[in-house]
Amino acid sequence: MAKLLEMASLACEVAKSEGAEWVQVTASESLDIFVELAKSSLKAASAAAGQGLSIRAFVKGGLGSVSTEALNERACRKAAKEAAQMASAAEPDPDFVALPSPEDAEEVEGLFDDRIAGLPSEKLVEVAGRNIEGAESVFGEVILSGGVGLHSAHSALANSAGVRRERKSTFLGASTFAVVKQGSDVGSFYDFDYGRRLEDVALEELGAKATRQALTFLGARHPQTRRMALVLGPLASFGLLRTLAYSASAEGIQRKRSFLTDMRGKQIVSEHLTIIDDGFIPRGLYSGTYDGEGALRRRVKIIDKGVFADLLHNSYTAGKAGEPNNGHGTSGGGISATNLRPELGKMSAEDIIKDTEEGLYINMGGLGPNPASGDVSASVDFGFKIENGRLVFPVINAMVGGHIFEILKKIDAVSSDYREEPGNIMPTIRIQDVQVVGKG
Amino acid sequence: MKELAQVLCDEARKRSCSFADVRLQESEGTSILVQDGRADKVSASKRHGAGLRVLVDGAWGFATTNRLEKRTLLAALEQAVSLARGSKEYVADPGAVAQVPPTCGEEHTSIKKDPRRVSIREKAAKIRQFEESALKAAGQKIVNSVLSYGDSVVQEIIANTSGTLVERHTVRTSVSATMTALEGELRQTDHERKAQISGFELLEEISPEEFSIRAAHKATQLLSAKPAPAGSFPVVFHPSITGLLVHEALGHNAEADHVWTGESILEGKLGEKIASALVTIVDDPTISNSYGSYKYDSEGTPSQRCILIEKGVLKGFLHSLETASKFGTSPNGSARAQNYAYCPVVRMSNTFMEPGPAAFEEIVKPIERGIFLDHGQWGYVFVERGQYTCHAGSGRMIEHGRLGEPLRDVSVAGLTLETLKDIEAISSDFEMDMPGHCGKAGQGVPVNTGGPYVRVKSLIVGGQSGD
Repeated sequence: MAKLLEMASLACEVAKSEGAEWVQVTASESLDIFVELAKSSLKAASAAAGQGLSIRAFVKGGLGSVSTEALNERACRKAAKEAAQMASAAEPDPDFVALPSPEDAEEVEGLFDDRIAGLPSEKLVEVAGRNIEGAESVFGEVILSGGVGLHSAHSALANSAGVRRERKSTFLGASTFAVVKQGSDVGSFYDFDYGRRLEDVALEELGAKATRQALTFLGARHPQTRRMALVLGPLASFGLLRTLAYSASAEGIQRKRSFLTDMRGKQIVSEHLTIIDDGFIPRGLYSGTYDGEGALRRRVKIIDKGVFADLLHNSYTAGKAGEPNNGHGTSGGGISATNLRPELGKMSAEDIIKDTEEGLYINMGGLGPNPASGDVSASVDFGFKIENGRLVFPVINAMVGGHIFEILKKIDAVSSDYREEPGNIMPTIRIQDVQVVGKG
Repeated sequence: MKELAQVLCDEARKRSCSFADVRLQESEGTSILVQDGRADKVSASKRHGAGLRVLVDGAWGFATTNRLEKRTLLAALEQAVSLARGSKEYVADPGAVAQVPPTCGEEHTSIKKDPRRVSIREKAAKIRQFEESALKAAGQKIVNSVLSYGDSVVQEIIANTSGTLVERHTVRTSVSATMTALEGELRQTDHERKAQISGFELLEEISPEEFSIRAAHKATQLLSAKPAPAGSFPVVFHPSITGLLVHEALGHNAEADHVWTGESILEGKLGEKIASALVTIVDDPTISNSYGSYKYDSEGTPSQRCILIEKGVLKGFLHSLETASKFGTSPNGSARAQNYAYCPVVRMSNTFMEPGPAAFEEIVKPIERGIFLDHGQWGYVFVERGQYTCHAGSGRMIEHGRLGEPLRDVSVAGLTLETLKDIEAISSDFEMDMPGHCGKAGQGVPVNTGGPYVRVKSLIVGGQSGD
């Protein structure tokens, strides 16, 4: 345990002594085990042991970064020296202010489970086998692919402002993709489950679940081209929420390349939508008291009743804006959202569908806007036509188009019930009057 | 390293592996980001490690490590064998490899200017020149410019228990320009990328007019372009969109692993006419210096030109050692891995449609009202349904046989087998300049794609207003 932090601290000192004014070092060790499925058979079992050291050094704000997979003192000293030299070669950046300073707070609970870290590969093989059996019990000729895997990591972070942190984390999860055929008719669907603790995942049912869903996509038809409501199911709505959260990155906004530039404080979405980014949910998939730069995270209300209320900062963008850092930095200098928790509405997902005269239900994907313009031109890869409050047939080769603001201002319902992946809330969302493109 | 690889193969034989291969790899690279007038982010990375794959009683095991000491490598081999043995119970489709003569050879990229011998300052200065010329040419409307440079030098030993021993030394260099233009509340962006198997000389051969200035001008021009209409239209593809169609819609379906599992729409169609007689599609990793090229694949099989469709007839698939065995054919050098940490899987290289006889004007002329799609950006496919999406960075309306008003970025969607049959005309002009990374099975590998201008009878256009 101590070795990683020692190595990170050493690299920090060496880079400083070589002329770097600010330094951040991350050292890590990890183990991944993955069991892959293909053609409803176990395809391969693999194990990857990794280690690495990443150094970011700053001279007058100019950044030199070096990463290496060697983790010994000699390599560490060499990489630190090289990072300092590269920082000197980089041009000064007057917008850089400082790396995070130490702040003490308790780490979020439930991010590491030694039962997952110690899980033998045979157990993953067994889970993969159960998924095949479950899928075949639903439809004998199903073609199931996907996999079951675990990730266990130990990392240490040191910076020249005095931050010294270590953390251990685990993930266990599985995904399945089922394809079913009846003659030339093909249906397919995907399901997944991930968690940081053993009790937070139910992995053995995923093959059967994906297969049951795939069967519902048989008999797909082209919808008509016309304006209608979109009802985003939990996976599709989560995609939309993450798109909005990532667009709220201060980097893109400060650089004027995001469609959210100059929109802070303005109503950009219907008042039905509030999105909170919360990195403190125990056992949450994206949880952690500190961000990748070692800064203390803050909860951020990104969208407040439709108003773009706040953006996501790392140390660079916060310093540049002269605002408090809300702790969304990644160790590489990027910005990332954490767990997303939209505020819920009053209607159930079932009632939202019943209340929709004509629309398109989107199970997964869709609505990814152009990050600069906000234009949306997207395929509906998995969806159903809604007529008179019922899902009547799966659609094939349908698209939606519009501008993200025009579309999101027409959100008129967020469901009261939801799918939950640890720390993240995925409701059903309805948007009225969107351009759907099909045949005719 | 060669001796070490052979020792590991010998050890695999002793452990009753019916097949095993070892990839030992060392790589290094630099990247520079120039943004808004400053080269303020420079980085370097070094990777090294080994991937050991074994086949034991029909079950595959794979282990990786980034410690290259013999002791650690032997432990990884043991782990791979143990993983394979522990998996047997659920293997219903046993693994196999084609029995082919071993390959011994070397691949060395021929370069003029080794990027490792060019200083960061020289690299940064060159990239800044591209940015400066673009900003000078495009003026005040450009509000953000990002120039990104990267180079990589990869050395790899590939050995297997059949006796194959290949050494690869590959240098790739890339540079991209992303320009964002603003007018009022309208913001548009454009992206250009140049990438090759090449040293730093690539940057000295690029004209700013064909690269950063073009991105800046296109971003600015998009400010006055309108959103595309929504509906079904006759469309004409720019070669970059043809490339996306060829890669996404056809190429992924022609990867034999998808065919073997039954997920590809091309299963059972070998020898059948699946496209217009005008269509010939080829995957060719032997093209000199193209971004997707290589002499040996990640299993050590020599690369070769593969005809996928010839005059509309499905002629072949892309194969690895395993899929070749299962189909009872020869491997054709299409097994690729992102790096040592991944197993090789069946992949494309440089995939393109052959040019035809028509002039561009002849292609556009019969269209009363349609859409010209330009500047292919990205695409994806669901192989089991053959449903694909391609995204165009810009376009033009076609009215009465002529190009009309400019259009903003838009996606089109279609069904592979319908679209291939609906191809009505193909130009003699040809372009393959879409170097990028293709994602599959969690891995990205360098590819290129392109083709001629193509007219398709009808496609769904994801526009913003009903037509």
